[in-house]
Amino acid sequence: MTFSTLLLLHLATADAGSLAPADTARPARERWYVPSHLLVHTAGGQGLAAVGTGWTANHNHLALEAVAGYLPKKFSITPIGIFTAKATYTPWQLAVRSTPWRVQPLALGGFVSYSASRGINQTRGSKYDAGYYWWSSRTRVGAFLGGSAGRAFRPTKRGTARTAMAYYELGTNDLYLVSWVNGRGKLPISSILTLGFGVRVQAW
Amino acid sequence: MKQHFLRNWSKVRGRGLLLGAGLAVLAGCDLIEFSPNQTHSPDAYSDLTAKNLAALAQRPVPTAGDTLRFVFTGDSQRFYEEAEDLVRSVNRQRGIALLLVAGDISDFGLGREMRWVHDKLKHLRVPYLTVVGNHDHAANGRKAYQEVFGALDYSFTHARTRFIMLNTNSREYRFDGTVPNISWLERQLADTAGVRRQIIINHVPPMDGDFDPQLEQPYVRALEHAPRVVLALNGHRHSFSIGEPYRNGITFINSYSFERRRYVVLTLWGDHEFRLDTVDF
Repeated sequence: MTFSTLLLLHLATADAGSLAPADTARPARERWYVPSHLLVHTAGGQGLAAVGTGWTANHNHLALEAVAGYLPKKFSITPIGIFTAKATYTPWQLAVRSTPWRVQPLALGGFVSYSASRGINQTRGSKYDAGYYWWSSRTRVGAFLGGSAGRAFRPTKRGTARTAMAYYELGTNDLYLVSWVNGRGKLPISSILTLGFGVRVQAW
Repeated sequence: MKQHFLRNWSKVRGRGLLLGAGLAVLAGCDLIEFSPNQTHSPDAYSDLTAKNLAALAQRPVPTAGDTLRFVFTGDSQRFYEEAEDLVRSVNRQRGIALLLVAGDISDFGLGREMRWVHDKLKHLRVPYLTVVGNHDHAANGRKAYQEVFGALDYSFTHARTRFIMLNTNSREYRFDGTVPNISWLERQLADTAGVRRQIIINHVPPMDGDFDPQLEQPYVRALEHAPRVVLALNGHRHSFSIGEPYRNGITFINSYSFERRRYVVLTLWGDHEFRLDTVDF
């Protein structure tokens, strides 16, 4: 129910695509290797709590991020460090009237994550002949769609925008997708979804 | 017009997000997941072995006299369509007391997979019981299995028949000599109070390369020394077989996997008598 509502909202906003992007002005930026923002994140397979940083390209439409997450022992055999690299594409960046509020109604993304944990029984290792298990128990690949909303604050002295945007990511991963495909319609699509949340802050 | 739309839209969207998050948390569902390897399982999907044993204890034995009939299958991993059809078929059988799954409930050792399988098997009219498989040991699977189902080694008695569920996935423990736990097995076999027959259920059969070769003979000897053993049941190989591989009077049966669309119905009576029926679904 909730998923379909969110999906419908995405479809509805496609009509608003003709609106001008909010940040057409391109202020001077730091050098390319200086990250453009920080983020805090939870769930979506990226840890109970995660922090990250990222870079944006293509007029802020593309974000590349590195996230380090943590899952305590309570939820695992031994604690897990989850290291995720993700790319998010946001086709529309909209300002709400002339207010400082900003909306990115759609985000499409993909991620690769690595789970480091002593207790995780590796599927690749000396215990097994090559190909005994075909997948990796530590590396996941996934995709998501999402959106974000937040506000802009007083710009920096250099004229770059300061923003704080809350986002969500509705996604899945390779093993869930394989299970769903194999289930030939007997696993509801909702059963393979994961939901993650976070906040991106651009302050410099 | 557009601005108006946006303003309203952002309100709706904000509410939608809150509602979505709220519902997910309230339902205790899997949507909010910190890792696919997380082992915590919601109440409705935890301690399933204990719950099924409690349900079994409540049910009268559906067959007369000393007869006990049950379904034996294995390796449900990723065969969700087949699982639905299997449940439909088993629910049509008469006189079934329980269903046994000989391990590999999951394919990737993920808690969600075990819950998906339960979502199918919970529609069985009879309790079902599982033994842990090697795939259930992948990643955090061992703990996920313990949370969703329960102990890796356990036994129970129903209709004077002792079912001994033994973890035999030695390769997952690097053949360190601890799995299968032979001394635990011997203790279960020695406890014959009120027990007329004993059945051992494993995932990996003892003659398989994934069974600790140092423990194969101790395992076989333990079974030989127990006078009430009727059957040794295994999975793992995904194909049916029946025979006396050790020529010691103990019959070993390997289950069909779910994907074979076939299962066996075992009917036991007397001290050692049994009948095997094959059902296609």
